[in-house]
Amino acid sequence: MSEVVIEVGKRHIREVNEEIQATVASGDKVILRNTLSRHNLGIGLPDGAQMHVEGSAGYYCGGLNNGASITIERNAGWGAGEAMASGHITVGGYAGMSCGAAMLGGTIHVKGDTGPRCGVAMKGGNIVVEGKIGYQSGFMAHAGKIIALGGAGESCADALWEGEVWVAGDIGSLGVDVEVVEPTAEEVADVDAILSPLGLQDSSRNWRKMISGQRLWYFESRDANAWLMI
Amino acid sequence: MCGIAGRILKTAGKVGHDLVELMDAQEHRGSDSTGFAVYGVPRESGYVLRGMGFDKAQLDTDLDDFRHSLKQHNCDLLEEPAILTNQDDHYCVRMVISDPDDIARWIETADTLADRFEVQSCGRSLEIVKDIGSSEDVAEKHGVRDMIGTHGLGHARLATESSVLPNASHPFWARPFPDVAIVHNGQITDYYTWRAKLERKGYRFLTYNDSELIAVWVSDQMKNGLTMDQALRKSISSIDGVFTFMIAQMDSIGFAKDRFAMKPLVTVHADDELAAATEEQAVRRVVADGADVYNYDGPALTNIWYSAAQKAAAA
Repeated sequence: MSEVVIEVGKRHIREVNEEIQATVASGDKVILRNTLSRHNLGIGLPDGAQMHVEGSAGYYCGGLNNGASITIERNAGWGAGEAMASGHITVGGYAGMSCGAAMLGGTIHVKGDTGPRCGVAMKGGNIVVEGKIGYQSGFMAHAGKIIALGGAGESCADALWEGEVWVAGDIGSLGVDVEVVEPTAEEVADVDAILSPLGLQDSSRNWRKMISGQRLWYFESRDANAWLMI
Repeated sequence: MCGIAGRILKTAGKVGHDLVELMDAQEHRGSDSTGFAVYGVPRESGYVLRGMGFDKAQLDTDLDDFRHSLKQHNCDLLEEPAILTNQDDHYCVRMVISDPDDIARWIETADTLADRFEVQSCGRSLEIVKDIGSSEDVAEKHGVRDMIGTHGLGHARLATESSVLPNASHPFWARPFPDVAIVHNGQITDYYTWRAKLERKGYRFLTYNDSELIAVWVSDQMKNGLTMDQALRKSISSIDGVFTFMIAQMDSIGFAKDRFAMKPLVTVHADDELAAATEEQAVRRVVADGADVYNYDGPALTNIWYSAAQKAAAA
């Protein structure tokens, strides 16, 4: 696979994305240069495509990813990998708010911290964060796992559904309707299987696994006591 | 979904140029109107005013009446006004005036003309330029790229709760506090509650824009003894809504962000310089791609950045 450098600069992003799609269709790896942290780079890339972002990317980089491998050298703006179906995205630094929002599958690996609402409304896949996940991460996550190795901010896993939030490290506070449970050895092995290919497996971690308390699942406004419980 | 920006330079320079770049990169966040607050090298005495008249056919009458308001408070023009007229109905004026006896009382008198001519900024250093249109449109029309200063603010407006009018554009001056300006991205949901409280204290608002209110709210807190840092922190628990605002004074730019963490701010702060914007791609217009950015993505955040150049000028 040869590499093709695409200059971004102030070009129209639709034109840049058309060039990216044409390059990966011909089997070449894309190197994005001089991105100026522009938004919407590499949207909807197909299975087998490879793209590397030199420097940082703006909002929604790798959104709707459908099997591509994307690396971002430094930071990603809001919504990295939003609604991705499959593939792999690596963020070398910080990922802004709503990283992996509504994603369906695949893996996002963030080497730094994330902003608020990491994995908001995610419906599958895994988000691995070596640093800390921000405020209200996991908000209304329907499925999939958020795995934070460096802790979590306030209101962690707020209104979680069937997703799971795993945290090693300090947690600022729990969100509403969250239960912290002791993971089984089998569950820890599943998480290790996700971390191992990233070189992040460490058996000494003290995991806290968060799941939904399920009190909001069937909530009715007439049931005021349910609110008071939360 | 407005776009905001702040810039501090190490020494006085083309801050207008940088603010135009910061806003041009964020035009997609709101192209109803664009505005800039530029802090030039401060005057030792006298105030620079920026104003807008709404019917250029009445320009001579407006300015005569305005000058009369100055004389009622023992001040006058120090130089001929610079007047900008073009194809629009409204016109814009830059004036330099001597010190009135009491600035708050003078602006109260001047505001009796506000249905015809309104003062949009007043300060030893501050000048606010704002108008309908994109960053480039407003910059070209008003010569913003050539404005020299130490720091400033920029705003691209997507109108939500008030009209698309030249005078409803941001930034807003914190009437009647000289040299205080604000830009804001968000919505204040207890606007009318706070407006009524502030009006009972004697403050006047020329628009129904919530940003104008925040500027006065913060300034009033400081008038009552809080530091800027304390006022910004208090705003988070006192003002209801989702917001990120930046408020500038002659020596600094501060910011506050609400408890729900809905409105972004990205900064590069190094070597006595600041570039701040809603989006990183805007910051990248004025700082190198390799510079480390800081994302104020969390809830309930504040900070203040100081202008070393203004501090040196004051020393």
